[in-house]
Amino acid sequence: MDKNKSAPINLGALINKTDLIITIVLIIIISVLWFETKNFEKASDLFANNIPAEMFPQILLIVILGMVLVLPFEHLLLKKNKKDIDSNRKKSIPNTTLFTMLLLTVIVAFSEILGAILTMIAICAALPIYWKEYRAKVLILYIIFFPLSVVFLFNFVLGVYFEPGLLEYILN
Amino acid sequence: MEDVVKGLGLLLEFENIILILGGVLIGVLVGALPGLSSPMAIALLIPFTISLEPVAAISMMAALYCAGTFGGSITAILINAPGAPPAVATALDGYPMAKNGEPGRALGLAAVASVLGGIFSLIVFIFAAPLLASVALEFGPAEYFGLAIFALSMLASMSGISSIRNLISGLTGVLLGTIGIHLTTGVERFTFNIGELEEGISFVPVLIGLFAVSELFKQSEKLNNVVERIHAKALKLPTWKELKKLKYTILRSSGIGTFIGILPAEGSTVAAIMGYNEARRWSKNKELFGKGSPEGIVGPEAANNAAAGGAMVPTLALGIPGSGSTALILAALIMHGFRPGPYLISETPEFVYAIFGAMLIANFGFLFIGLVGAKFFSLIAFIPRKLLWPAVFVFSLIGSYSFSSSMFDVWIMLAAGLLGYFMDRHGFGAAPLVMGLILGKLVEESFSQSMIIYDNNFLSFFESPIVILFFVLTFFSLSSPFWSKLFFKK
Repeated sequence: MDKNKSAPINLGALINKTDLIITIVLIIIISVLWFETKNFEKASDLFANNIPAEMFPQILLIVILGMVLVLPFEHLLLKKNKKDIDSNRKKSIPNTTLFTMLLLTVIVAFSEILGAILTMIAICAALPIYWKEYRAKVLILYIIFFPLSVVFLFNFVLGVYFEPGLLEYILN
Repeated sequence: MEDVVKGLGLLLEFENIILILGGVLIGVLVGALPGLSSPMAIALLIPFTISLEPVAAISMMAALYCAGTFGGSITAILINAPGAPPAVATALDGYPMAKNGEPGRALGLAAVASVLGGIFSLIVFIFAAPLLASVALEFGPAEYFGLAIFALSMLASMSGISSIRNLISGLTGVLLGTIGIHLTTGVERFTFNIGELEEGISFVPVLIGLFAVSELFKQSEKLNNVVERIHAKALKLPTWKELKKLKYTILRSSGIGTFIGILPAEGSTVAAIMGYNEARRWSKNKELFGKGSPEGIVGPEAANNAAAGGAMVPTLALGIPGSGSTALILAALIMHGFRPGPYLISETPEFVYAIFGAMLIANFGFLFIGLVGAKFFSLIAFIPRKLLWPAVFVFSLIGSYSFSSSMFDVWIMLAAGLLGYFMDRHGFGAAPLVMGLILGKLVEESFSQSMIIYDNNFLSFFESPIVILFFVLTFFSLSSPFWSKLFFKK
């Protein structure tokens, strides 16, 4: 008896769940963009030359969609070539990374209020401390001298304009 | 000849030489620091060099690109942690040789092979680029469309886990390039009523986000990695006798590297691995490989540096980037108001020769820096990551903001960083996206112009033999995973 012949097809093994989620997300994005192309203004024939503005993006979206549909099954092809698409994502994203993302987003959100110099100081202080760099002397030197040397190099030597903020407001 | 002299004249100004040497130093530093890479450094450099003369700015980036490839081998040899992906193969024999008590010799072999590989590819560059450009001058929009499609298809074979994901990334880049006002019709596309998007997405924040910020997030996963270091007191140059023994390996690898580099989208990493494999295949001492074989060091090193020069050929002659780093150099050229491609060589040949000269100086520059700074470079890999990465973010912030003094660009940079992190996690490469973004304009323009010429008849593309050739090459490129298997099985 050939066991393989009678074995039922396991759909779960055919489809990679993570890639299925990615595919669904990408299909949603592609759909939104497709409908957006339908809302592009119509150019006059004089400019359009029979090449409407939506034509090229729509072709791209169709080609991308075609490839996206392969993604859930791609792991089967990769396995044959001894590649594991899940090797990089087996472990969940570490909390340190997620919090780093959040921390930097918050600092960027407040950067207009803080101004360039305080933003740099905030980055140089917050990230190393969060990453458990506790050597006080090193940290203090770093927090003070790194932003200062950046300001000196970019502002005074290269003439890059630094947006004023809270620090300049207090000093003035 | 006159153009060569003019080009060298442009280059040999004091300020330019200092900038080139500065580029070499930065290149060796970022190459040697695991996590930092040449594309990242070039991306960070673009906004600060935009106010410089084009020759100075592009020469500095080209020098950084050459030196960065060599820099990666320093940490590959001394701490078995390749500073950059092209140095992966160098670690296989470089680290064992260093462990056997000859770190200086390993570094010396790597440096000399890199210089020779680089010079070989530059000689090819100086002949091949004008030749390729003269052929490309005959190209019309349809031929350019065929060429751009072929270049995009080559993204499939770019290093990474999956061809399909590379292609999706590349096409997403092309799609991102369509954001803003359509030049032909004046219609706004994908702007979602955001005023800042009307002019399209700026290259700079996207490049910085994808290459620098996403790497920061990746590095935050491994902040406490401990590495074992081997002390290198000085770089020891190989003897003439030793070089004579290795000449065929260096020559072969230089040829392989240059050829791989010239292919659109194929980078130094592929070249280095092929250089290593071929060195092993042709070696009379195969048993020494993996234990500190000199051929195992010079093979990949000559190849990866030759690929750097080779990649500049399609970049400057056709406007098609040969690698991730050259895609960034291409972006910089566009920002400086140049139109990369055959016209760059026919109209401003002296500019191209100046870049050639900069790369030549860079090759000797990193040999010199390696000779005097081996001891120092063996230490830089130990700069605490907890202090290094906040500094990278500060530079990213300044770079993306200062380019057009816009907070919107900073948010784009952060979004690109997050996107790059998640893309990498799921096997989608950042480099194909950047190449797509840069090629996007060429693809759409040539497509639209061809459609106007052909009166919307797709089949007319097949009237040009050059277009057919590019389509056939595209087919072979996309189907390479299947036919290469058949070929290698036999």
